[in-house]
Amino acid sequence: MRQFILQRLGSGLIVLLGISIFSFALIHLIPGDPIRIMLGENATAEQVTALREQLGLNQPLLTQYVHYVSNVLQGDLGTSFKTGRPVLTEIMERFPATVKLAASGMLLAILIGITMGILAARFKDTLLDFSAMSLATLGVSIPSFWLGILLIMLFTVKLGWFPIAGGTGLMDLFLPAVTLGVLASTVISRLTRAGMVEVLSFDYIRTARAKGLGEGAVLFIHAFRNAMIPVVTIVGLQIASLLGGTVIIERVFDWPGLGSLAISAIASRDFPLVQGIILFIGVIFVLINILVDVLYSVIDPRIEVGKMKEGT
Amino acid sequence: MGTTVSIKKVVALVSLAATLVAGCGNTTTTSTTAPGGSAAPSGEQPAASSTQPKKGGTITIGLKDEPDQLDIQKTGMAVANQIAGNLGGGLVTQDPETLEFKPYLAESWTVSEDGKTWSFVIRSGVKFQDGSPLTAKSFADTYQRALNPETAAKVAGSNLSEVASVEAPDDKTLVLKLKQPFAPLLQYLSDPGWLQPLSMEAIKKAGDKYGRQPVGVGPWKFESWENGQSITFVRNEDFTWADPIAKNQGPVYPDKLIYKFINENQTMLAALESGSIDIASKIDAKDVKKYKDNPKYEVKEMLRNGLGLFIMMNTRKPVFQQLEVRQALNKAINKEAIMKAVIQGEGVVAYGPLPPSLFGYDEAVKDYGYAYKVDEAKALLEKAGYQKNGQGIYEKDGKPLTLEILAQTGTWAQAAQLIQAMLKDIGVEVKIVTLEWGALVDTATKGNFDMTLMGYTLNDPDVLYLFLHSSQIANGLNFSAVHDDKLDGLLVKGRTTVDSAARKEVYKEIQKYVVEQAWWVPLYTEKQFNIVRKPVEGVRMHPLRGLMYQDSWVNQ
Repeated sequence: MRQFILQRLGSGLIVLLGISIFSFALIHLIPGDPIRIMLGENATAEQVTALREQLGLNQPLLTQYVHYVSNVLQGDLGTSFKTGRPVLTEIMERFPATVKLAASGMLLAILIGITMGILAARFKDTLLDFSAMSLATLGVSIPSFWLGILLIMLFTVKLGWFPIAGGTGLMDLFLPAVTLGVLASTVISRLTRAGMVEVLSFDYIRTARAKGLGEGAVLFIHAFRNAMIPVVTIVGLQIASLLGGTVIIERVFDWPGLGSLAISAIASRDFPLVQGIILFIGVIFVLINILVDVLYSVIDPRIEVGKMKEGT
Repeated sequence: MGTTVSIKKVVALVSLAATLVAGCGNTTTTSTTAPGGSAAPSGEQPAASSTQPKKGGTITIGLKDEPDQLDIQKTGMAVANQIAGNLGGGLVTQDPETLEFKPYLAESWTVSEDGKTWSFVIRSGVKFQDGSPLTAKSFADTYQRALNPETAAKVAGSNLSEVASVEAPDDKTLVLKLKQPFAPLLQYLSDPGWLQPLSMEAIKKAGDKYGRQPVGVGPWKFESWENGQSITFVRNEDFTWADPIAKNQGPVYPDKLIYKFINENQTMLAALESGSIDIASKIDAKDVKKYKDNPKYEVKEMLRNGLGLFIMMNTRKPVFQQLEVRQALNKAINKEAIMKAVIQGEGVVAYGPLPPSLFGYDEAVKDYGYAYKVDEAKALLEKAGYQKNGQGIYEKDGKPLTLEILAQTGTWAQAAQLIQAMLKDIGVEVKIVTLEWGALVDTATKGNFDMTLMGYTLNDPDVLYLFLHSSQIANGLNFSAVHDDKLDGLLVKGRTTVDSAARKEVYKEIQKYVVEQAWWVPLYTEKQFNIVRKPVEGVRMHPLRGLMYQDSWVNQ
């Protein structure tokens, strides 16, 4: 197990290196000069030249990249062009808000998704199954900003139950978390249902029922445990992508997390900040992937994590 | 020997910041220079309420952009100036009605005969929020800091770019020596943001954190900055030196002033309606209507101090080196229709390079500007040697007249499509290239385009120097690459003519010449809207600085 984790960390580092090269190249390739954006519009030629030199943007790209990587390896993600503050400070100021939102959204998604999925499988081909799956299909096709605006219109403007743009309190959290939860639950419920339908046809379930176990225990303990693997995978992936900035939701609800930070950083061509955010999210992705793999073996002892096939 | 500047003599417009406006949704170059009012501000009267203003409460303002920092000399963002204006004040101020300059932190001033030596007598009894007194030396230190290359001052530095030296021979006297006479300077000095006095003590004490804990002499004290969310100010209790244009000469009424950052238009409106914010800024014409008919809200409108939208043609391209082609495009575009469609008619059609809200604008432009005349447009193209081909597109030497136009993502797309359709009608093919702001400016600077849409905000006609003088081709805003000796001379004359009547004449001439030469297609200048929600009262408009809170209070 330990060897497996070390191995995965090693390959994770290679992935991160790839991400850093890719993001560095990409952000320097898109047109748009951070200097011009920063200086406002009546900058003199001298000011432009001086600032370019000060930020080291006049050096060859390769030099800049090597410089950047060596700083990162020493734990220095650089300073934001826009605010002049350390990139890590900027990220850490915003990260808790995104974690808060992603975690509560995910929790809701898991609760809704798994419950719906199990019930739909248990009452397969009934009206309940049909409506649960129709809702899931609808959820997949609804754009998140549309649902977000709809909820704001209803609960904030019409009813005045929940504030907007208030901060990051519990009341502020409710609407964006629900939006996120409802939308993320759809995939989970479909996967849960598929897995459960398969598992419920196995012999051991009949045995369990014959033993007189309650239906709840059969469904949630015996059956679900074996239907869980794909669900855990998708939840892991979703958590990672949610932490990567629930960009659209954060913007709609004016939630001060990484997503909104990323958008403004890209708009102002704040190279160090954009790279820092991408790298940070990359690290989280790698860690969550390892965690998910480790979880498999906890869920199903027959799986040895060291021998995982690619693509699970 | 100096002559005292009489208030009557100087009527020019203040420039808040020489920054471009870039529509919405970008963080840095956008200048929402504080929206001001039109020359006759509406809603100047506080809402009919017999009650006296009372202390207490909070006013919360929604803004679309968050500043980079509040060290006003180190930022180039108009939104930073808008916010930092609450912390400061100018040497002079400008009457919102008459646009005359009046003494403020300087009790009087004189300008030498040659226009190069400006002396100010600094007002006594003013204190910084950290307790240190404001003297002529404070101003001298402040301006020297802006001029020091190590500061890398942005707008504050360029506002003072014509200043050669700053001295304070005693506590009451401040002397600015200029390289050459510079007409826009007084306006720059009247801005409460960019050129406000700074406490060197506070700057020393805060070190590199100063940009997030600024200190000034103004009515509001900085309290806190929640990154990505809000900036909070509290009342400065010692404040007894209010801007003479305000009714309330003492400390402000509300306990707090909060700026909240809300990017999304819809979210901003929801926040206003649910009471999370009291004032929504920069609201589009299409959203304003329902608030106009609702007594709970007060809509403050003003004409933008600049052209909201115009087309720049790139004279590096041979096709635009022909005057007839440039004039033809001017006549082929129906400005009225574009304005109705894009901003619901909430603005004025533009015929020249200056809007009615700017000093130097000449009414006559309505007579000599280009009207929408399709036949004349076609005739001009034919005169330039173009013939229609089989597809009905004009061509010359076998090359069809196909042009690209750059448009900013989102905000300008609709206008670009209308232009495309109108030019198609006369036989010119247009391809639209949409780019986000940063990329558009980059492309325009490099000259890799045929035409581009553009907008600007600046409170001084000197903006035309930035956009049309040949020195501004490489690094400035002269994307059209206009290099015209006659115009260059006029633009320099406009900058250096300090006498206001004479200066007006110069801009009259510039306006006419720029229209004749048709490098641009002016389209419109739009109204800008801020919506104030009850119970907030007494929010006033300054045509150049935007909303003013010195007389504001919460009626609860």
